[in-house]
Amino acid sequence: MTAVQHAPPAGRPAPAPGRPPARRRGAARPWRTPEPPPTGVARLLPHTVAGRVRALTALAAVLLVAMLAVSWWAIANAREGVRVIGQDAGPQVVATGDLYFQLTDMDAQLANALLIGGAAGDGRTQALARYDENRQKAGTALLKAAKLADETTEDNTARDVLDALGRYEYLAGRALLLDEQSQHASGPPSDKVIDLYRQATDLMKLDVLPKAYNLTLDNGTLVRHTYEDKRSAVLAGRTWIMVTGVALLAVLLGFQLYLARRFRRLLNVPLALATLGTLALLLAGATMLSGQAGHLRKAKEEGFDSILALSRTRAISNSAAADETRFLLDPGRADAYEQVYLSKSQTVLYLKAGNLTEYNQAVQSNLAFEPGRAKFLGFLGTEANRPTESDKRRAQLADALGKALKDYQKVQANDSQMRVLVHGGQREQAVAGRSASAADFTEYDRSLQALARVHQTAFDEAVKDGDDGTSGWYAVLPIAGVVIAALVFVGVRPRLAEYRWSK
Amino acid sequence: MVEVRRRPTAGVLAAALLAGATACGIADADENSLRSRDRLVIGVNADQPGLGERTADGSYRGFDVDVGKDIARRLGVPGGNVTFKRVTSATRETMIQNGDVDLVVASYSVTPERKVKVAFAGPYYVAHQDVLVRDSDARTIRDVHDLRGRRLCRVPGSVSFPRVHDELGVAALPVEADGYTGCLDALTSGRLDAVSTDDLILGGLAAKAAGSGPKLRIVNAPFTDEPYGVGVRRGDVGGCEAVNKAITEMYQDGTAQRLLRKWFAPVGLAFTTTVPQFEGCV
Repeated sequence: MTAVQHAPPAGRPAPAPGRPPARRRGAARPWRTPEPPPTGVARLLPHTVAGRVRALTALAAVLLVAMLAVSWWAIANAREGVRVIGQDAGPQVVATGDLYFQLTDMDAQLANALLIGGAAGDGRTQALARYDENRQKAGTALLKAAKLADETTEDNTARDVLDALGRYEYLAGRALLLDEQSQHASGPPSDKVIDLYRQATDLMKLDVLPKAYNLTLDNGTLVRHTYEDKRSAVLAGRTWIMVTGVALLAVLLGFQLYLARRFRRLLNVPLALATLGTLALLLAGATMLSGQAGHLRKAKEEGFDSILALSRTRAISNSAAADETRFLLDPGRADAYEQVYLSKSQTVLYLKAGNLTEYNQAVQSNLAFEPGRAKFLGFLGTEANRPTESDKRRAQLADALGKALKDYQKVQANDSQMRVLVHGGQREQAVAGRSASAADFTEYDRSLQALARVHQTAFDEAVKDGDDGTSGWYAVLPIAGVVIAALVFVGVRPRLAEYRWSK
Repeated sequence: MVEVRRRPTAGVLAAALLAGATACGIADADENSLRSRDRLVIGVNADQPGLGERTADGSYRGFDVDVGKDIARRLGVPGGNVTFKRVTSATRETMIQNGDVDLVVASYSVTPERKVKVAFAGPYYVAHQDVLVRDSDARTIRDVHDLRGRRLCRVPGSVSFPRVHDELGVAALPVEADGYTGCLDALTSGRLDAVSTDDLILGGLAAKAAGSGPKLRIVNAPFTDEPYGVGVRRGDVGGCEAVNKAITEMYQDGTAQRLLRKWFAPVGLAFTTTVPQFEGCV
């Protein structure tokens, strides 16, 4: 009776009190004490050895297919992510980023052509040639931006840019014609021409450029979404490969143990090989996907983000330079242009300053920085603080950014000098010094491009690594699947056959 | 039977949780994003007529309030679920950081220092500092430089007077007032000659004064850019982009133009009707 009081082994119904305790094992006779019908999961399990072997084989096959399917899906996502960021949207976004630059430069060249007038010989022709060249490039970039648009608002923006650009060119054409007819010497043109130019430049500044810039931002969003979706999918795929792979390993190991006990074999070699093969596939797949997630991250964060930010830096810098020209061209609005120049400069490189004189002093004093710990903000501050993995590239970036900062100091020094002349009533001298300062600005713009090229290299490398990392996997997966399945089959068949014959 | 079914489900669930956790590591915490809200608290000014003003019954009215409502609607939050809360220049950043408000639409100029603390969607409008004078003086005061020797309102804590006096070096004579409503009283009663601050604020002041006292006029000679952004929590890039999209739509379907006309056309303000250049959310 005491035995009955003890906790019965789990899963077996406790014998009713008053009955003799059931005997533990071996002696039970089916017709006397029938085994209790299996309950729970057990009821679904096959009862015969052959049935169990078949069921385990089927389970292994299902898990194998699941693992392969998940791997396929994750690889497809990785490849799509690399394709979109590396070859499709990424480069196109950069191309549309240049749209802003081209439009700004069109306006700057128009201002130059009007400011130079007919007196300076071929200066005007050069300015107009550059205007035309930029107009063509802007058209191409706009077409690309429109192709990328995936939302109605973005489509509408692209259409509005095209429309506003048409109106701009109409005004620009009239201003140039009127100015040619008046044949003025170098310096501010006639009031009528200034009025037309104001209309044109207002249209560019208030209508065309903001929309072009917003279009670039929209496309940057598109790339960011693709990146987040695909990287999530790759990481989720990695998790699922591990889940299905570990389940398959467990089944194969359990199978091995079951066979060893049932058939008194030490080791089923094909099954053991299948287990090892699964382990290898699992590890290789998970490692490859981790690598892919890393390549995507690198392409996006060390490449694309900086390239886009630098393209925006160029855009804002160029439009600030245009405001500098407008300051000279249009004395009536000089105050507004001066304040806007300061605010744009602070967007590019922020240092606390109440006016341009203070800003120039702050910029000239010290821009030395340690990567990651720059004391200035703005676009260039963000670039100075952007983390990079490789030491070699960090040094390259620090050099390239250092050069850009030095050139920026020169640009700001020139600007300061020009304003001192204008405020001192020496406008003629200020206009005369424009060509030298324009050359310095071009040099600064080149340094920004050189900095962007360092990031472009990082981007290209990451994209190539991403491409190489998955190449061949579409072949590896089916082969690995066939091999593992065949090994399981080879391991199991003799046992089943044995069972069948011995029966 | 229940047992049999639960096990595989539990396994799948566990795996799904695992996968989910990995996915969340990348995107920002989406449940906090503006995109997934069904209620919104919007911070506005309470003392700027025309932009954000608290009325006697405790509700808010003004251009900023209307813009806030419209953005909320486009984010999928119905009007009934939008509450307005008063913010001031001193409290805006902390209130966004603490989550007391979800959005700030309060003549909030985007500056690099502020961008360290909060993110800015928009700007939804670029205001410009301008000058408000009595209509009778409008012939002699045509731009900011004509303020030399004139009595100009100075509000302690505002950058508007220093902009004229220090940055531009225009020797205007300071007359102190407590807030721009105070400046308005002084202008209509003749104790000073001009008020200079953002044109939208001047527009609101002019509208408030309309019908009583001397006629006022905005000079329409802007000399600064003040981009009014929508302050959002830093890190909510998705939410910030959604607000940008809402602002783009607002300009594309004519709502922004209608609101600008509603609040500022009666006072003769030359406002811009095209979408501003956004700051960018990253």
